[in-house]
Amino acid sequence: MRRPALAAAILLLAGGGLLVPAIAQQADEADYGGLPPGPGREEVYDTCQACHSLMIVVQQGLTRDSWEESLVWMVEEQGMPEPDEATWALILDYLAAHYGTDR
Amino acid sequence: MSDNAKERGICELYEEDPERADYLVFGRVAENGRRGFLKGAGLATMAAAVGATIPFHRNMPAGLIPSALADETSDFKLAGKDGLTVLNDRPINAETPPHLLDDDVTPNDRHFVRNNGLVPEMAETMDASGWSLTVDGEVDNPMTLTLDDLRSRFEVVKLKLQVECGGNGRAAFNPPAKGNQWTLGAVGNAEWTGVRYADLLAAAGVKSNAIYTAHYGMDGHLSGDPEKLPISRGVPLEKAMNPYSIIAFEMNGVPIPTLNGFPVRTICPGWPGSCSQKWLRRIQVRDVVHDGPKMTGTSYRVPTYPVEAGEKVEKKDFQIIQSMPVKSLITRPQTGHEIGDGRSLQAAGHAWAGDRWVNAVDVSIDFGATWIQADLQPPPNPYSWQHWTADLSFPEKGYYEVWARATDSDGVTQPFAIAWNPKGYLNNSMHRIAVRVAA
Repeated sequence: MRRPALAAAILLLAGGGLLVPAIAQQADEADYGGLPPGPGREEVYDTCQACHSLMIVVQQGLTRDSWEESLVWMVEEQGMPEPDEATWALILDYLAAHYGTDR
Repeated sequence: MSDNAKERGICELYEEDPERADYLVFGRVAENGRRGFLKGAGLATMAAAVGATIPFHRNMPAGLIPSALADETSDFKLAGKDGLTVLNDRPINAETPPHLLDDDVTPNDRHFVRNNGLVPEMAETMDASGWSLTVDGEVDNPMTLTLDDLRSRFEVVKLKLQVECGGNGRAAFNPPAKGNQWTLGAVGNAEWTGVRYADLLAAAGVKSNAIYTAHYGMDGHLSGDPEKLPISRGVPLEKAMNPYSIIAFEMNGVPIPTLNGFPVRTICPGWPGSCSQKWLRRIQVRDVVHDGPKMTGTSYRVPTYPVEAGEKVEKKDFQIIQSMPVKSLITRPQTGHEIGDGRSLQAAGHAWAGDRWVNAVDVSIDFGATWIQADLQPPPNPYSWQHWTADLSFPEKGYYEVWARATDSDGVTQPFAIAWNPKGYLNNSMHRIAVRVAA
């Protein structure tokens, strides 16, 4: 049987550390709607995609102030439940770091 | 719709939010032969590893786009749309690459989509039997009309009308502006069938204190809160009374497609697309400027004075956008075109100018140093875009850019640079395409 052999070979490759890191990272980001890894990713994913796709987030390149304005707008006018202070900071830090004006 | 079975199949793969996926993101299918992505860290890692060594991708299901790879979005299709670039899938926002806008009348499957909320169920089922339109507010005779009432009580008109998103071209802003990063293709010029907005208002009897209209659609708010509206805009009474503002129920001779506003929408051509409310259910005539969602704050507004790129502008210094500015597109050839044989080419495209019309289109092949006047057609009716062609000869082999610029009936020409504004509206800078002459 060839298929189990192939699967075993792949597992061997993966286990042997030969996995191309870029490919693994791409698959990982795909899991989070395109968000790269980093502190706050889980929080951004859970908070934002409850209402809208992450596709709108990853298009942006905004200053920290502008991201904060967006979050305030989401809470005050768009029905986003207000995150606790720690979560708020994590989300804001993540967005400002990954989707700043130098996108 | 015939695509229902296929749509459901794809949505089952859409694991991000299984309960709502079918409703929210119907109809997006991966084209054959393109790479899809599996969900689940272990599975995805494995599949990606396999993909790196053997062409396994045809067997992989699609459904989740790594949106960091902008080009990948064009691999996905929306139901009833062909070749559009999907900027966002919830809410759905998709634009048309310029070379697919070559038709004088934009076909339904090539017309852009800008949604703010959730597509209403009535539009998905394309069953308008329960639909009615309420006209109320500052009127003497509030009315509730069915689709048959619209067709039978008012003169039916057919017009080619250009609709462009206020944020078309936002992607070129630097510093970037918030919102969907539209490039060039959030514009279309379909033939719309409907009744004049003015006739409807005349029947309702507009009171003398009325100054503005308010449009309400059936689309749901993204949060799912039934009390919230995703968007409710309107126009000054005089724009509503313009004979080319209509209440439309057909697009290119068929019921308006799901994503474009079935069964009825306003078309207020030449103004930001948001003035053309989709899935219309109510028109309220008001004695104040309408203050619905996306009428206030900085939505669809620009500063009252020119500002430096990146400048902070106070809310009180913004004004509501009315007419869109003069603009043109090169729809033929596609950018990147190579002339293999000979050194000549006919370029073609469209030009439009909001409330005005276009007097001239000029084309340059030398980065704007010299200009050739294009052959410009008159519009088939006011508020339609106008077709142009230009026969170009290239002096020698090499890389060229073809630039187009239109001049409107007030003598205003498209600029080369963007007049930056905080929300990224009204980018009417010249369209440029690349052409290579081989020999």
